[in-house]
Amino acid sequence: MISIQNIQKTYQSGDIKVQALQNINLTINKGEFTAIVGPSGSGKTTLLNIIGGLDSPTEGSIRINTTEITQLPENELIDFRLHHIGFVFQSYNLIPVLTAKENVEFLMLLQKQGDQFRNERTLKLLKAVGLEDQVNKKPNEMSGGQQQRVAVARALASKPSFVLADEPTANLDSKSSENLLDIMQQLNKVENTTFIFSTHDQRVIDKANRIITIEDGKVISDTHHSKD
Amino acid sequence: MILKLAWRNIFRNKRRSIITVSSIVFAVVFAVTMRSLQHGAYDNMLKNIVGNYLGYVQVHFKGFWNEKTIDNSFYIEDLDSLKNDPTVTFINPRIEGFALASHKKESKPVVILGLDAKMENQNTPIKESLINGEFLSDNSDGILIGKGLQKIMNVQMGDSLVFLSQGYQGSIASGIYPINGIVDLKTPDLNRRTVIMNLNRAQDFFGINHMATSAIIGPKIDEWEKTEKSIKEQLDSSQFEVMNWQQMLPELKQLIDVDRAGGTFVLIILYSILTFSLFGTVLMLAEERNFEFGVLVAIGMRKSMIIRVAILETLIMALVGVILGLLLVIPIVTYFHFYPINLSGQMQEVVEQFGFEAIIPTSLDPSISLTQTFIVFMITILVNLYTIIKIKNIQPSKAMRA
Repeated sequence: MISIQNIQKTYQSGDIKVQALQNINLTINKGEFTAIVGPSGSGKTTLLNIIGGLDSPTEGSIRINTTEITQLPENELIDFRLHHIGFVFQSYNLIPVLTAKENVEFLMLLQKQGDQFRNERTLKLLKAVGLEDQVNKKPNEMSGGQQQRVAVARALASKPSFVLADEPTANLDSKSSENLLDIMQQLNKVENTTFIFSTHDQRVIDKANRIITIEDGKVISDTHHSKD
Repeated sequence: MILKLAWRNIFRNKRRSIITVSSIVFAVVFAVTMRSLQHGAYDNMLKNIVGNYLGYVQVHFKGFWNEKTIDNSFYIEDLDSLKNDPTVTFINPRIEGFALASHKKESKPVVILGLDAKMENQNTPIKESLINGEFLSDNSDGILIGKGLQKIMNVQMGDSLVFLSQGYQGSIASGIYPINGIVDLKTPDLNRRTVIMNLNRAQDFFGINHMATSAIIGPKIDEWEKTEKSIKEQLDSSQFEVMNWQQMLPELKQLIDVDRAGGTFVLIILYSILTFSLFGTVLMLAEERNFEFGVLVAIGMRKSMIIRVAILETLIMALVGVILGLLLVIPIVTYFHFYPINLSGQMQEVVEQFGFEAIIPTSLDPSISLTQTFIVFMITILVNLYTIIKIKNIQPSKAMRA
């Protein structure tokens, strides 16, 4: 469970203070498929970064299960991300010198998982995202959609508590987007992994079972949908 | 994984990696060649003047060095106590005196060097200087003369030279000696003025039986300082003076020091260029990959591990550069060690005016290559400080926004 309490984020730009997030309070439960929506500059990415421990709030707390992440020292926070949070970025951000298999395996290596476990999980995830025949290709040898599917497999490789996906379909064509969303939805069901998206994409919004709308750094609506 | 990442990252920008490795290769080749030539030249000077002729440490009767008269001689048996010194490998008594040499109408002031033929053959390479005739033997009455002196006096093997000098305590020293051999003492000045004869003949000539003006003390290899200290402690300082080659040839020592300083200055410039070249690589690497470093930190890679990858990349390039550099430079240095550069023309004249042999061999001392390799690695680590600081300060959300 992710508990977000009284989150404020203020950026200082010269003499001007920009209030990016104001008094955000949210609870996201395990297994949710949540979309954070809102216009550009509304604070979606900032909120996602703060939930993922990539940025620190000016005020407030983020509790993931039993850990208050805003208080963690740097290395502990990095280790926490490694073990509990998966990331899918808009621009895929795979490691360019590694193959698809090595990219997926990478986090498990950092987690010091054994060879057999790594191999089996990597192949299972690449199969799940439909790339079992692309294991030895490097990112520059794959299409955007394929790269993003590798990124999803990588995000899930470390068996995280939840996956944060920042506009994951923004750089994909509609067919690739549909395909990716189906895969993520399937993994959400099979692995019961929580997914939190920031998005403008209506297709993502349509598949989400919870939609949080942000405007000017404030939550203006939080609606739950049943997709079954 | 760290090694795999570092290795593959090197091939991401092949052109830049090639430029970086090439600059290291150039620096190693240039620095090792330059240093080897310098050290080779010093070694050659020391070998010719100190090793073959003067010795690293000498004992004289007190005052002899400043006033080289035959009266400042000592009894050879006074040095017997030094034979038990473990730092001393040999004691070669010598006589060094001045005389006027004549042949037909030619006269020339010369230095008569009296040597114990047997001991010199055992302990010094002076026999190797013989270029014509026979070297001294125990019973030989003849003399050896420098090749320069041969030319000046216009004499041949078998001719005789007449010597006139002042002997011990004001006596007259004179004698006639046949020329048994010609020597090349490798320094033009020595070649123009040196006459070598048996120690006992020199003792007879100057009237100083059982005496010598100096003794060359043999140290163990590269331990002349220890030997000098040890014999100084044993000998009566009111009767004897102990001098090392740097005191006997201060101008040679100064020349080496000045030349070494000049070489160091050139190397500093070279290494500055290398530092900036490597720094350029590191700077581009750190700036270009800032986004990627941010991603790695975001997904759970500790900064210390990213730093290790970045350092390993430059260390691998440094290692490849150093190995290639050494592979290139070792044959060059080896060739010029066995086939030294022969100076000619004005350069030859200038060098010979200073009394040195006009050749520059390279030194094969492995410490030269090791030192330069060590310096290149230190520079590599130094320039990586930038990467370390850059990665240490990365904030993933900012890095990924850039």
